[in-house]
Amino acid sequence: MGRSILQASVTDRGLVLDPRTKLFMLLNMAIFVLGSAGGERVQALTPLFCAMPAVLLFSARKWKTAITFVILFILSYSMYTIFGPMTTGALHYILLGCSGILARFLPSIMMGGYLVSTTTVSEFTAAMLKMKLSEKIIIPLSVMFRFFPTVFDEAASINAAMRMRGIHLGGRNAGGILEYRMVPLMTCCVKIGEELSAAALTRGLGGEVRRTNICNIGFKVQDIIFIMISLVPYVLWILDIVGI
Amino acid sequence: MIEIKNVSFRHENADEGSIHDISLTIPDGQCVLLCGESGSGKTTVTRLINGLIPHYYEGEIQGEVIANGLNVTSSELYETAKIVGSVFQNPRSQFFCVDTTSELAFGCENMGMPEAEILSRIDRVTEEMNISPLMGRNIFELSGGEKQKIACGSVSALQPEIMVLDEPTSNLDLNAIEELKETVLKWKASGKTIVIAEHRLYWLREICDRVICTQNGRIAFDMTMTDFAALTEEERAAYGLRPLFNEKGVRPVGNFSGTKTMTLNNFNFSYDKDEALNIPKLEIPIGSIVAVTGNNGAGKSTFSRCLCGLEKKFKGTVTMNGETLKSKQLLKKCYMVMQDVNHQLFCETVEEEVQLGMNDENAGDVQKILAELDLDGFAERHPMSLSGGQKQRTAIASAMLADKEILLFDEPTSGLDFRHMEQTAELLSSLKSKKTVFVVTHDPELISRCCTHILRIENGRATEFYS
Repeated sequence: MGRSILQASVTDRGLVLDPRTKLFMLLNMAIFVLGSAGGERVQALTPLFCAMPAVLLFSARKWKTAITFVILFILSYSMYTIFGPMTTGALHYILLGCSGILARFLPSIMMGGYLVSTTTVSEFTAAMLKMKLSEKIIIPLSVMFRFFPTVFDEAASINAAMRMRGIHLGGRNAGGILEYRMVPLMTCCVKIGEELSAAALTRGLGGEVRRTNICNIGFKVQDIIFIMISLVPYVLWILDIVGI
Repeated sequence: MIEIKNVSFRHENADEGSIHDISLTIPDGQCVLLCGESGSGKTTVTRLINGLIPHYYEGEIQGEVIANGLNVTSSELYETAKIVGSVFQNPRSQFFCVDTTSELAFGCENMGMPEAEILSRIDRVTEEMNISPLMGRNIFELSGGEKQKIACGSVSALQPEIMVLDEPTSNLDLNAIEELKETVLKWKASGKTIVIAEHRLYWLREICDRVICTQNGRIAFDMTMTDFAALTEEERAAYGLRPLFNEKGVRPVGNFSGTKTMTLNNFNFSYDKDEALNIPKLEIPIGSIVAVTGNNGAGKSTFSRCLCGLEKKFKGTVTMNGETLKSKQLLKKCYMVMQDVNHQLFCETVEEEVQLGMNDENAGDVQKILAELDLDGFAERHPMSLSGGQKQRTAIASAMLADKEILLFDEPTSGLDFRHMEQTAELLSSLKSKKTVFVVTHDPELISRCCTHILRIENGRATEFYS
């Protein structure tokens, strides 16, 4: 997963949604599934809601992730609703705790996973620009996303070096694993970060004009459908509040 | 026209200035080679022209630099960026975007150009540089040469009149250098003023009109390429410069007399379904120094990773001294000195560093080995505070103390000047007959100085092995 943070390949990713739609759906997951807001009627709909990340992951051809998610979710949800009431005492609490937490967190995590694995940095930047965010936020964020693959690359090389030195779990220097990794990782990342900024500055980053963006994003039919679905719980919630 | 007027510069934390009172005038359309030893000030000159000095690398500066009428020293970097384009050494760290198309657009986007204009510029650049197959790809999956092409393209899209290249071939193989050469020739033909700071000189013979050599922060000589080519290689070497003419067909040094061999069996490896390596059997003399050559992507790094036991799924073996070593044992017998040696220095002092993972029987030899590798004065220093060569030697010392039989060097001389390259060659030669050494390299000068054998890998196969 780590390597695929905002590194989607532009071709072959199935249903293309605007990053803003994805963000909106992620927000909804957090509010209604994780935060269980919205009252009884909305909560009755949550299983349906949780199907959304599965559908999206399938559409993006992330078969493995999607299937694991569906199985885990069904397991934990049925544990929670069927076996939960049947047990008592400590077992009851353990079961309820584990399955409850999993069933609540999983859909949001999957939605987040879908967001980062099917969006490119440029699309994300373009979306932030369209949401009228300040460049003071956009530039540091895009640098951060650019940096993930670099950090993973560096960490992989350091890991290889550690294995050749016999530093691994179960080896005699196992105690130092974290320390030994951090020092070179920091050194390398600082150096790369410095060179990266220099290269970006010589290409005019940080000028006074507002940046443009060639990335073509915008709401299409599929976005409207998903946004409509995502609006349902809000409508129900408002209806609840006004008392209908 | 670039005018550098009486410029001196001292980095913020440095005791000494990096350049002293340099004055230069480079007329429009001229192509200049800046050469000289590491630390002689050529990178400083390139940074003065693109404005990174004094706006990014801060320090004490006197004098000023004018590029096409713009005072670079006092203007903001994004103003300079419209006139001066820069290509750097490290392909890993000069990309802001993750996909190639956005990278080409990056500079233009920063200028706030309209979308249609940017797209037409991208089209033009991809056509000019034949990089349409690279469009829409993830930059992290490209080879070093392809990355450098994208870097050139991204600068080209901004259409600056001046191009500054700082050691652009450090990480490139011979084919990629040829392609870079073509790109630079196109820039030259379109009338751009070009400044290239470089250690490898031969590819610039037909490109540059003028050669400026720096030494201790001053200009040692400033002559035409014709005059420079008339110097003897010895005269060039005296300035710390590498040869201008590369001999065709590199020969390894012949004086190797070892008779014992080790056998690499079944060196096959695939990533998913793509076969990356296929060497059924290969005999390597024990104690030899083998240069591993081949183009980027030919399978050299897969070969290295398999040999060092870093690929868990690798099924091949090495037979030496009657033992057959599998991946796990290879991990204990082999050690790779990486291109970026910073990845493998973990401890707080050199002494601790070399003792980490040491075979306890060697405890008495620590001082001896440090002395052998000229590190005896540095035992208490932090490894990260050492110079590049010293770091390399620290890594070697740790491998010696850990009883590694096979040492593998990944591009040990990339970006090194003549003197440091010679030092590395001497260091490698000193390992001859003690360890079996593999050197993955693109550097013909290194090979002809210290390697006893050459192994050529193409498309994952060992196409040639000779001494």
